Amino acid sequence: MIEFASAIAGTALLLLLAAAVLKGWLASHSLGPGSAANEDDESEPCPEEFVNRVFSRSDWEFVRGLKASGVEGLFERERKRVAQVWVRQTSAMVRKVMHEHAQAARQSKNLEFSTEINIFGQFLMLMGVCGILSTAIQIAGPLSLGGLAHFAQRLSRRLSELQESLQAGGPANTAEARSA
Amino acid sequence: MLSQTIWWGSNVLEGCLLVRGASSRLIFRYPVFYTYLLLVLLQSPIRFAAYHWHRDTWYSPVYWTTEFLGLAMGCLVVFEIYRVALAAYPGTAKMARNVLLFLFVLALAQCGAALWRDPHLLWETTPLQMERALRTVEAIAMVALVTVFASYSIPFGRNLRGILLGYGLFIGERVICLTFVPVAGEDFWFYAYSASYLVALSLWLAHLWSDQAIPEAENAQLERDYQRIARVTQRRLQEARESLVKGLHL
Repeated sequence: MIEFASAIAGTALLLLLAAAVLKGWLASHSLGPGSAANEDDESEPCPEEFVNRVFSRSDWEFVRGLKASGVEGLFERERKRVAQVWVRQTSAMVRKVMHEHAQAARQSKNLEFSTEINIFGQFLMLMGVCGILSTAIQIAGPLSLGGLAHFAQRLSRRLSELQESLQAGGPANTAEARSA
Repeated sequence: MLSQTIWWGSNVLEGCLLVRGASSRLIFRYPVFYTYLLLVLLQSPIRFAAYHWHRDTWYSPVYWTTEFLGLAMGCLVVFEIYRVALAAYPGTAKMARNVLLFLFVLALAQCGAALWRDPHLLWETTPLQMERALRTVEAIAMVALVTVFASYSIPFGRNLRGILLGYGLFIGERVICLTFVPVAGEDFWFYAYSASYLVALSLWLAHLWSDQAIPEAENAQLERDYQRIARVTQRRLQEARESLVKGLHL
């Protein structure tokens, strides 16, 4: 049993180091002026109406009413592509929020372990939902996933608001401390 | 022949590293790491002397004593990586301490449970098995540490990155090799076990050739505000959780 655990631990360490090296290498080779702009674009949240439209059945029913199989196929393919873009945007936004949180939290002397674990858990859950959503869109298409998409959208927006308040609260509190 | 090559190669690389460390004054920035290298370099003549003159009586105790000394010093190298990397990041340092404490308690509990099941376990365990168990704990601690570094995007200078990569690679390879290495005889895993250190030494030499500063920490002003931020965060997370539950009932 211990042999198996040792092999797993050693392999996990080697894989983790390889991933860290690969990530560092990729970051150093893709730091062109265009890549930062793309990341900003990807991290912009989609409007809720847009998500409603991507996952709503009304457009689909309209297209089906046309009774043109070519248009139906095209519609399904396009909707699937747009839905995947939305999932990628949501996922990028969540990662950005988490990255900003980590940058703020890493210098706090009074950081709380349990709070960090809580936030990390929320992040993992959101990333998990995005992963499941992406797979489900690929398999079932966006039209059957309206409910789940709304849920992910609300959760990511909530996390984004939380991050904004975190950033707004920081300097304000510093000013309060200085004036005191 | 291969064993000889590995042995001489390791000694030469260790010597080079120590000379370069002294000339670039890196030994003052990473004293534990260079002490570890010196200790490992001194292991070779001590073991050689024991093997040459008192093979039957002294070699085995000398080998395992120096091996466990190296292991203990290696743990201090991990501590030095933690200390230097997180000196400017008290938040992440606190997080890392908690995670490592949790793992340490878990390892102790596991050890206690194993001893409870079999009180003679300690006497029946061979030094090789003991080393494997200790190296496994070290590997798990390093996995946790690297995960914390990655989660908080801790910037590393070239030197510290080299120490971490080299030592991590060495521990990872060694743990895997110790799982498969035979008690007697020389097969692939025996040579892989010896060569893993050679790979780590090469990495260290490449990364520690000259002194390179660690990137400075940014945004130091945010450090005071965590308590308030944490309260807001917890409240908002509670709201997010409620929204999640409602979302699931849509």
